[in-house]
Amino acid sequence: MSEQLLIKRKSRFLREMNAVIAVMAREITVFFKSPGTIAMSLVMPIMFMGMIGGNLSQNMASGLEFGFAKFMLVGMLINMLFMVTCTGMSSLVDDHETDFNQEMLVSPVSRYSLVVGKIFGASFGAIVSMAGTLIVGLIMGITLPLIQLLMILALSPLVCLAGGAMSMILIGLIKSRKTANFAVILITMPQMFLSGAIVPINHSTGVLMILSRLMPMTYCLDLTRAVVYSGTEEYKSVVMFNPIVNFAAIALLTTVCLIIGTFFYAQSEKNR
Amino acid sequence: MNVIEVNHLVKRYKGTRTPSVDNINFSVEKGEFFAFLGPNGAGKTTTISILTTTLSKTSGEVKIAGFGINKDARKVREKVGIIFQRPSLDLQLTAEENIRFHACLYGVCGYRPAFKLMPAAYKEKVLELADVVGIKDALFKPMKKLSGGMQRKLEIVRSLIHTPEVLFLDEPTQGLDAVSRRSLWEYINTVRNQYGTTIFLTTHYIDEAEGADRVCIINHGKIAACSSPDELKTVLLKHELILDAKDRNALTAELSTLGLPYTVNSHIAVPYEGTAQALISKLNTELTVLKTHEPTLEDAYIEFLKKTGGDIQ
Repeated sequence: MSEQLLIKRKSRFLREMNAVIAVMAREITVFFKSPGTIAMSLVMPIMFMGMIGGNLSQNMASGLEFGFAKFMLVGMLINMLFMVTCTGMSSLVDDHETDFNQEMLVSPVSRYSLVVGKIFGASFGAIVSMAGTLIVGLIMGITLPLIQLLMILALSPLVCLAGGAMSMILIGLIKSRKTANFAVILITMPQMFLSGAIVPINHSTGVLMILSRLMPMTYCLDLTRAVVYSGTEEYKSVVMFNPIVNFAAIALLTTVCLIIGTFFYAQSEKNR
Repeated sequence: MNVIEVNHLVKRYKGTRTPSVDNINFSVEKGEFFAFLGPNGAGKTTTISILTTTLSKTSGEVKIAGFGINKDARKVREKVGIIFQRPSLDLQLTAEENIRFHACLYGVCGYRPAFKLMPAAYKEKVLELADVVGIKDALFKPMKKLSGGMQRKLEIVRSLIHTPEVLFLDEPTQGLDAVSRRSLWEYINTVRNQYGTTIFLTTHYIDEAEGADRVCIINHGKIAACSSPDELKTVLLKHELILDAKDRNALTAELSTLGLPYTVNSHIAVPYEGTAQALISKLNTELTVLKTHEPTLEDAYIEFLKKTGGDIQ
């Protein structure tokens, strides 16, 4: 490969990275300018971790081979990353309604850069919600060691990318805010219950088992739990797959969703 | 050298029978000021959307700066700037944040989280452009606090920040006051002269197209006429003398005797060829009104639409 071509490719890569950062920064700027979004990011952990998680802890914890509180906290953290990223991605519909999509789509950058930037931008709110979940967990007396928290934080970009990519399959096609709100529920709710975020799915069979295996969140959760429970006696009861299998499944599903979702997003604006 | 080449372009929207753009052909030379006129729904915005790669074509071939819009879409996007018909701003950002976002997507500079941290060249250009269109004071205000006219001016600044080779203006001055319109056009002409930027304009203010090198009229998706504004006026309209007299009957009788056609409205309009002097010298009736009427592009445009059955807005 000639030196000139290498320089050209490097310059193109840096330009795409710059676009990803610009799109991400826009999302974060908008997040800080929207008190409603900040409030929702903090209220959601109270609702999910405090109410749903608290209720399950009190009524379902007995008879399990592992501590339910920790299991549920990890599940809620990943669920929050997934759910808030998906909700954030629905702002693409707002961009369509305000014609801002045109401004992005007429720019000379890859459509993947636009979508990935959007996902990472949306994941900022998700990380705020994750922090809120930890605080609610702390109030409920459920804590994780710092090293495990840092590991979860290190995995969070991958989880957000998987969640954002998956939501793109529907969001990329939707043109109205009302439908987008419904779609977010459609994407996130089944995953919360079928992927093992709050209820163990080791014994799932039939359609529910197949659905759980098709959901990226199942593998994100299992990978995170593999990291958190590594070296403990509970590992076998909690973790379903080898971390390499989890990672490969996340990579595959995320890539497929990203390609399809980005295609839908770009084409739905262009093919009228 | 042609910077825009359109050959047999057709666009048929999904679920429609008749094409919105029906087999049109035209080319625009580098540095040319090209005006694309037509009534609402004629196909102007559809054509611009295809040329800027935001809308797919049904068939035909389009090249911008030598690059095909399908094969080399990214290169085409690098070469063009556009002001859309409807504002496409993020109302949650400030004016400058909107410009910064655009500049970063077009690779003008690397992203920095604040204006103060941006490169000096970027800051200078933003301030210069904002000064020209008169929004310097509003640059750091939230978009929601800017009037419609101010937002339009901001879009103009944004479209010029990456110094495009071809600038597409889809009704750019809609909602602007007269002073802003004039200052904007002065600036666009400066940019054109300085950088040789090609201008592709659609507008409802026909007077804005008077300065164009070439005017194309599109109607019902087809190119109906394409020539310089002067040629268009010469072909479609004649110069007129506007006359009146205390004894209007005597004047009209005299015009009839001389075999000169005329129309009577508030005054008497007499079309002429050659010089006005030659016509006036033939008249003996004492005149109370004597004016010459130079046909404008707008007169020619309306006349053209009347003749071709276009919908006059």
